[in-house]
Amino acid sequence: MSGTVLLRMEEITKTFPGVRANDKVSFDLKSGEIHALVGENGAGKTTLMKILYGLQKPDSGTIYLKNQAVSIKNPKDAIHQGIGMVHQHFMLVPPFTVLENIILGEESHRAGVLNMNIPAAKITEIIRENGLQVELNTNVEDLPVGLQQRVEILKVLYRGAEILVFDEPTAVLTPKKAKELFDTFRRMKEQGKGIIFISHKLDEVLTIADRITVIRRGRVIKTLERTEASKPLIAELMVGKPVFLEVDKKSKAAGRVILKTYDLQATSERGHKVLNGINLQVHAGEIYGIAGVEGNGQTELIEAIGQRVKLDAGDIQLEGESILTWDVRRRRDEGIGHIPEDRHKCGLLLPFSLADNITLGRHHQPPFVKKFQIIDKKQIRAYSRETIESFDIRTPSELTPANALSGGNQQRVIIAREMRFEPKLLVAAQPTRGVDIGAMEFIYSQLIRARDQGKAVLLISADLDEILSLADRVGVIFKGRIIKEFRREDTSREEIGFYMTGEQESA
Amino acid sequence: MLKLKFNKYKFFEMLSPVIGFFAAMVVLLILVILVGETPRNAIVAIYKLTLSTPARMATVLSIAIPLFISGLAVSLAFRAGVFNIGVEGQYYVGGLVGALIGIYLPLPPIIHIPMVIIFAMIGGALWALIPALLKATKGIHEVISTIMFNNIALAFVNYLVNGPLSGITEKSQLEAQTGKILDTALFGKLNGFFRALGWPVPDYVYLDYSLIVAVIMGFFIWFLLFKTRYGFEIRAVGTSIDVSHYAGIRVKKTQIGAFLLSGALAGLIGLQEIFAIRGFYTYEIASGLGFDGIAIALIGRNSPLGVIFAALLFAFLKQAGYGLQLHTGVSNSIIYVITGSMILFIVVFNELIARYIRALRRKEIS
Repeated sequence: MSGTVLLRMEEITKTFPGVRANDKVSFDLKSGEIHALVGENGAGKTTLMKILYGLQKPDSGTIYLKNQAVSIKNPKDAIHQGIGMVHQHFMLVPPFTVLENIILGEESHRAGVLNMNIPAAKITEIIRENGLQVELNTNVEDLPVGLQQRVEILKVLYRGAEILVFDEPTAVLTPKKAKELFDTFRRMKEQGKGIIFISHKLDEVLTIADRITVIRRGRVIKTLERTEASKPLIAELMVGKPVFLEVDKKSKAAGRVILKTYDLQATSERGHKVLNGINLQVHAGEIYGIAGVEGNGQTELIEAIGQRVKLDAGDIQLEGESILTWDVRRRRDEGIGHIPEDRHKCGLLLPFSLADNITLGRHHQPPFVKKFQIIDKKQIRAYSRETIESFDIRTPSELTPANALSGGNQQRVIIAREMRFEPKLLVAAQPTRGVDIGAMEFIYSQLIRARDQGKAVLLISADLDEILSLADRVGVIFKGRIIKEFRREDTSREEIGFYMTGEQESA
Repeated sequence: MLKLKFNKYKFFEMLSPVIGFFAAMVVLLILVILVGETPRNAIVAIYKLTLSTPARMATVLSIAIPLFISGLAVSLAFRAGVFNIGVEGQYYVGGLVGALIGIYLPLPPIIHIPMVIIFAMIGGALWALIPALLKATKGIHEVISTIMFNNIALAFVNYLVNGPLSGITEKSQLEAQTGKILDTALFGKLNGFFRALGWPVPDYVYLDYSLIVAVIMGFFIWFLLFKTRYGFEIRAVGTSIDVSHYAGIRVKKTQIGAFLLSGALAGLIGLQEIFAIRGFYTYEIASGLGFDGIAIALIGRNSPLGVIFAALLFAFLKQAGYGLQLHTGVSNSIIYVITGSMILFIVVFNELIARYIRALRRKEIS
């Protein structure tokens, strides 16, 4: 099925100060092929793609497009040579319509007056060919994430891309939307386009890719045909040692009720009912997993527990005491730990030292402050050194600023911070989103450890496998309600999946 | 205890103002040549008015006092992520409130001077209070509201000084002003003290008590920001509101607090002119100091120590402008071009150096 070679990158080397991001990397892509690029964070995938897209200049090496050596100086150049990139973080103008976003930068006009009809016709055609249904006159800000991604794809196709690069496209998608995206991949493949697919999710890679190239520490370790690839093999190639994703979890009797929510109801700013009577209990020594397609009230539930937000009705209790009037500080002080969903935005004070970040949230309490609220730097540093050591955070010192650390290490800092505060309840929202396998293993073991120490853990994850490997009980959330609860051992992936889509409502 | 340990990152960070200054000086010399002067004449002219004698240097220091307080006020708010553009209005109002205590409340000097200082701070803080509350409760951006409040302050003060608070007794006085400040509230000079230390500061230079106020406030703000929990929270909020909120920091209270303290500091900017130089309050007190403070905070990277250098630099440039005007054919206003281009250079070099430091740190880790 695969045809001619569209792209060949040969012996690409790129050195940043101190890091060889790409070391003689060779990579090729045929037409009608989906070529997956996998590797841990910082392995060099992104650098390679930035070079392809003209965002970075290689130190040495050559790029061939259809056997012609080319030099790609900037993204505009890349686009004109038929290379399109769908970024992980969308590059869209929210108040503009879908149509305006697609033509942005490639407007067709006469004497400066925009002509929308010609592009609209062309785009409608592309939509039809690829099954990328989206309303052209809607403002992008009103679209759900999955549809925004379609707009990104349309942008790329509209510019006539033959080679499409997808940087972790499913990180933001629900399983159902991911499936639809893969359908689109298949259609584009049939049209003879080449797709480079960057992902952390090995299941997906094995489902959709024709070939899989594994990168580690800037080098290509191996390129596998799908038929010879397997999950353990890829994982091993990625990290250089066998990784056990199977979670070692001993069964344990749950203790008293720590968190109880009672008929929680809330309305969004736009007037949608986002929480519609949530009732749940999380016990000490238990991981309660919330499964559900994103956007069914998970974020609002987390916010209601962690912060003082406006509720229409209901109550939240921590060990039998209502917390509704407590502000964030009080909630933290009383023992609610929080691994935020959006770590980049809410997790760390990036320019601040690790020591400051590790104590953040308890920085106002002894031993970190002395009399007259004066900071005790010695205590903070000692405590941080202990934390860095026991959680194996890789850093030159506790005074290094957080932004000098890799993403995986930053996530470790957040988890170490929350764990060391010894919360009664730990709320973990999408804790492994976007992290590599090594960090994932660490996070899993920490969540299990919290549970074994008798903490109550509320886990919200879009990754059903994660819920299934970690949770003792699973609640399925749909349209702001927990519509079904299971004990982990009494249920299956299929059954949860069935409830996640709200199927039982129509059935 | 001050530990002086060489930190190469800190050193690099300090480079950008230095580079910016010299780059701006190059621009200055090019402009001087274009105007038809020789660079030599220009440099001599600048040197004469700034560094040639101890008296000149003392003058630069004197000019730097209100500039430093202004820069400190702006930088404190900046640290909390608040853009207090209203320092200008706050010091007009703060100065007036302080002056009223100085004019109408007879007290012994030992109490009177601290009282006028405290009330100047209260006045400045009050003028910041409404924009602060508007921001916290209604989400109205402080840049808009404080600009408006600058205009209101000017008009309000103008009205008061011309009307109810007018102290004009003879028709020959043209400048609208309040009555005289009581002797007990007037700021004395420290010139004698400096002479005793071996620095021959002549009598006409104003190194007055406001210098003490500036030093105390500088130390206080440094201590607050870097040694106390409140300062940590101010810096955290200024870095990321989201992260701070998640960490349980009361973001709004912190911002209001920093805003008010910034206003209180702003109230002190006029001390020198009102209580040491003039001895009465007038609508004509030096304008624009609040805006200079924004540039000074920027150049000083919002740190009290940096603001000291930036304020001295600004004072130096102001004097340099007079020097050029006096001794060459170059207009005083060239200084605005120079400060503008200096800020531009510093911002650019800040970014370049920050990138370099990031790369260095990554290298260190890997």
